[in-house]
Amino acid sequence: MIWRIGTEILCHHSHSSMKEFNAFIEQMKTLGVKRYLKVCLEHAFHLLCRGLVDEAYQILSAAESWRFGEQTAIQDKEMKLIQAYKGLLDYYSWSKQKNILLENEWDGFEDLSVEQEMHGCFRKAAVNLKEIIKMPGVWDQFVKCYVDLLEFYGDHNEARQVLNEYAYNSKFPANPNAHVYLYQFLKRHGEPRKSLISALKILHDIVPSHELMIDFNTMLQKSKKRKRRRLGLEVIFAALDYAGWKENVKAWNCLARQVKQIVTSGKHLDWIKEEWNSRKDWWPAFHFSRYLAKRNWQENESLSCEKALVAGILLGKDCKYFKYVSHQGCKARVKRFRILKKFVNKYNPVYLRISG
Amino acid sequence: MEFPPALFPSYFTAGPPREERGPATAAGWGEHGQVLQAGPGRRQAERSFVPRRGGTGESWEPADAAAVPLLPPSASCWVPSLTPQDILYRGFLRRKGRAGRAGAAPALDFTRQLSHFFVDHPEDAFGSLGRLLHKNFYLGNSRLTKPARDNAIRVTALMEEIERLEARRGCPRRYLASRLRWFSHLCRDWLFEVPLGLLGDCVHEELLLQWASLLFDDSPTGGALVWLPPKDAGAHTGCLVYPGGRAMNHLCILPDFQDVVLEELPCTQGSPAQFELNGCIRQVAAARVDGEDFVGVRSDYHCGVWRVPGRVGAAPTPLQIIRTSVPASCLTVSPHLPGELAVCTQSGAVYLWSVETGLQRLRHDPQTMFFRDHSPWRWSDFTAHPRVLSCADRTGLQCLDARAPERCHFDLFKVGEEAGCQQGERVVLPMYLGRAHPSQHLVTTQFSVYVLDERLPLVPMLKWVHMMKAPPLFAHLTPGGPGRSHKVLLGASRTQELLLLQYRGGSQSACQLVGPPQKLHSIAGCLQHLPTQLPHRHRLLQQRLAAPAAGLAATLQEDRLQESLLVFQLSEAGDVFCQRLTHEVAQPHAVTSGDEAAPAPGSSPLFDPAAALRYRRWLKGLSKGCGDPPRPPTISQKRLFTRKELEGPAGPSPLHRQAWRQLRQAMREGVRIQHWDPPAPQPPALPQPLEPAGGLDPLSTRLAATWCGDWGQWWEEGTSLSLAQRQRALRERRRRQKRARGRCSLSASFTSSLTYQSELSELSDAGPPPLSPDRPPVLPREGSPPGTSPAPSSAPEDALLSSQSLRCRGIPKERRKTLRDYLSVWAEDPPEPTEPPGSQASQPCIPSSQSQLSSASQPRRKRPRMGF
Repeated sequence: MIWRIGTEILCHHSHSSMKEFNAFIEQMKTLGVKRYLKVCLEHAFHLLCRGLVDEAYQILSAAESWRFGEQTAIQDKEMKLIQAYKGLLDYYSWSKQKNILLENEWDGFEDLSVEQEMHGCFRKAAVNLKEIIKMPGVWDQFVKCYVDLLEFYGDHNEARQVLNEYAYNSKFPANPNAHVYLYQFLKRHGEPRKSLISALKILHDIVPSHELMIDFNTMLQKSKKRKRRRLGLEVIFAALDYAGWKENVKAWNCLARQVKQIVTSGKHLDWIKEEWNSRKDWWPAFHFSRYLAKRNWQENESLSCEKALVAGILLGKDCKYFKYVSHQGCKARVKRFRILKKFVNKYNPVYLRISG
Repeated sequence: MEFPPALFPSYFTAGPPREERGPATAAGWGEHGQVLQAGPGRRQAERSFVPRRGGTGESWEPADAAAVPLLPPSASCWVPSLTPQDILYRGFLRRKGRAGRAGAAPALDFTRQLSHFFVDHPEDAFGSLGRLLHKNFYLGNSRLTKPARDNAIRVTALMEEIERLEARRGCPRRYLASRLRWFSHLCRDWLFEVPLGLLGDCVHEELLLQWASLLFDDSPTGGALVWLPPKDAGAHTGCLVYPGGRAMNHLCILPDFQDVVLEELPCTQGSPAQFELNGCIRQVAAARVDGEDFVGVRSDYHCGVWRVPGRVGAAPTPLQIIRTSVPASCLTVSPHLPGELAVCTQSGAVYLWSVETGLQRLRHDPQTMFFRDHSPWRWSDFTAHPRVLSCADRTGLQCLDARAPERCHFDLFKVGEEAGCQQGERVVLPMYLGRAHPSQHLVTTQFSVYVLDERLPLVPMLKWVHMMKAPPLFAHLTPGGPGRSHKVLLGASRTQELLLLQYRGGSQSACQLVGPPQKLHSIAGCLQHLPTQLPHRHRLLQQRLAAPAAGLAATLQEDRLQESLLVFQLSEAGDVFCQRLTHEVAQPHAVTSGDEAAPAPGSSPLFDPAAALRYRRWLKGLSKGCGDPPRPPTISQKRLFTRKELEGPAGPSPLHRQAWRQLRQAMREGVRIQHWDPPAPQPPALPQPLEPAGGLDPLSTRLAATWCGDWGQWWEEGTSLSLAQRQRALRERRRRQKRARGRCSLSASFTSSLTYQSELSELSDAGPPPLSPDRPPVLPREGSPPGTSPAPSSAPEDALLSSQSLRCRGIPKERRKTLRDYLSVWAEDPPEPTEPPGSQASQPCIPSSQSQLSSASQPRRKRPRMGF
């Protein structure tokens, strides 16, 4: 209690100095044995936030070697966190030395001592980081650092295993970042498209609104397999369901392109029909209202162009959105709108087939 | 929709909450939580850490020392809600006060409530058997003679015993007299109209229900105050939607909000568009879709939706109303699709309500989701996906897909170890934070507030122990632009607390709580800044200002250089108060100006004249509206026109004598004096002075009416109309509450409209029975009736008014002052009495049958009636 209020006051007091803060925290540490680790951790955080990395490292190392009786479960967790943060700082010093070394190499020098120190840091960091990653939790920055370490030393199998574990272990929360890291790792190592797709497919299943869905969609569209192209359409439709994607030009562009492709080829109209069936009762009000047409036109012309194409095909040429945008476009004599109008008029029968 | 590239580290464990201790005091204060490397961080020069909590936030300083009333007080009287003193056993409260938190279970004063029932509703309690046994109960004082004693008992003795018993209340050596014991043994099973056991059960159940709602009433969850921002960003006008009226059953949409010049306080403009609804408004929710505002209104059994069009000056139009058979507990408006709402009822059903297509039931489950909890409260809100609804009960949140609600759902929040909850923690209010970030949700519990991201369910992005005394039932989000923090306001109902939290992040960076949480002014806090009041007015004012909060709204005003946040708070009494927070941009400057702007509570009020004026006006309106409601005259005609009263001022003047004679004759014959024709030469002395003042004050009009002979009509107009109105209002209220009860219970009879009549009968017990208005006025005969002493014919004024003389005339004590007031009025020059006798002068001695407010000042009358 004293600790919390005191820290809060010192944090917000304009005249408090780091020295006073340290003295206060040291007193707090001796005051409560139960809280010792927690106070140490917070002290380190405070130092880190003020950029005093070395001091924080000292605090963490001191806390790591602290022993008092039997550890409770909470203390155990705190100890693990302390070790992990220490590992993180080790990683930072490692990457610092790595950079020095790389620069030196660039210049043609070789510094054995730096290299040795770097390896030392690696070992310390790896041991500590590995420990915490085993526990279920959200460990984004630790995992990232650990994978970076492993990759540098060429231990790809271990890295892959760690990432797989982090992404697919059911004890861990369904963290989208875990899948993103795995996908990035696979991409970095030039894995076959199949495994990339399967990684993204799982991400799509848990977070259909993730920003990687555009990449996923383009990847699927390029594919020759019908099934994958079908999945691509599903992915982009599902992403556009979300309010956050409402005004995303890229996504609308993807959808417009794919719809256009399907319509011109005349094949797989049933795909659009199927996707549209579950959305036709609410997409018109959600995406293609007259109000939105007006606003999109004012704010983002290219967005309204993409949307108008989709609206024209899905809802026919009489739909409010298409009518408004094409009218405004013709008034403004923009060429692409004329093409758009022509295209929609030409493929108007498609609309009848989709809606029918 | 970007997801933060890295989140703050945290442990994740599944299972029930493990932390057994109560909330640690000041938990979370002075803590950074976790740190995360900020920035892209590939280059080491940029390597810095950001804390999860404790970052510098924006500084918002209150501009005034207290909240300021925004609207004039509602004209109707507010009936103070139930207090613990009303239903708890008195000794328990005292003991509890002494011993701190000693007793676990409250001692409900069951016997008091039951005895109130017997006293207030004797007809309901003993009606038919009372009539049957009428002959066998003897109420006189004399002893019964032999033949009568065979089949009648003397109840007077029993009554005396009971009174003696009452006097010895609390005495350890109290014992029941044998007579009482045999009587109760004999009668217990058959005397009561309603079987005693059943009645007791119902009363007890009702008491428990009332007590539970006193401890925590979740019906106003969500709040009944909404601010509809201006249609175009630059305008300084908007709409305020709030409930008003006597029973909070009018939906008021205040059309315009005057230009808010930032130096000034916001002012209202125009009169609100009002809609009368069929029940007390519990919640008002609103969302803007396609430039139009949709306002949803929830009362217990009805939910309605209005559309407030985007055009300026267009009237709001009601769209649809639904009726539920079980009280609705939630109504939220979709921010995605026009005319879509989510409705939950206490039976555990969740509906998606579309104005066009009607209701679609998504779920019906009387059981709670994750573990068993008795509360029937349900909540539902929208998510980033327009077809996915979140659905909450006290144990957590789930997201349902409206297209396939049985199959597609996932858990968003669970009260458990996943979110680091404490034992006994329950969800109080979930809210979709779509305006800050499309996939964020806010969940408040009685201990903490959580920010969740639906893309990473179960793991809270933020957690903060809010340390509010009462659970926050209202929340409001003011989204910040890019680079700015989002402001979340939390409001509690019973304690009126307001808390301002700031957070940022969610898309490019992980969520961070920034700045210290800030407590804002509550409505009750302005009491010390009001001018000093008379003690009883002060108490009324205190009661009024401390009424539980019923809603919360806020709006951000930008003007030239300065930004300000206007926070509105609604109380259950229907008052809307407002406070302004100004944004201090320069950090070092903020410290000094903050000290000036917010004086510590208790210091001298630093008010600008505008606020002081606002307070004065509000107080004036309050005393006008709620001071003393008009009530029917409780003085009978006998009192007004007794012989001595007529004689007193008439004196020996021959004209008076003649007038008096004429009047008496007319009365004896039972006719009215149609034309007052005095002897031609002198104009009559008495009626003339009355006439000029006739239209001015009630007494004069009444006297004038009497003189003209149509007093009966005056009475009709003055009382029976308002009486009928009041009876209608009472009946209406009773019906409403019966409905609110939600089940058929005998205890509903407690709210019977008979209350009014019983009070009237008490009133008549207190003194001679008032004459009914339609009976012709009767004056006492020359030979005075038995029981009243012969009146002094021409006694001096002071002798007439002395209490002794009044007493010897058999006038009850409590009537003497009234009479004295009347007589003094009569004795002085009548045209302009200083006070209308119906108001303050007679207040203390008239048993107030209508005014709850004045009944509060009389301890004897302060009886809680259940259901009120």
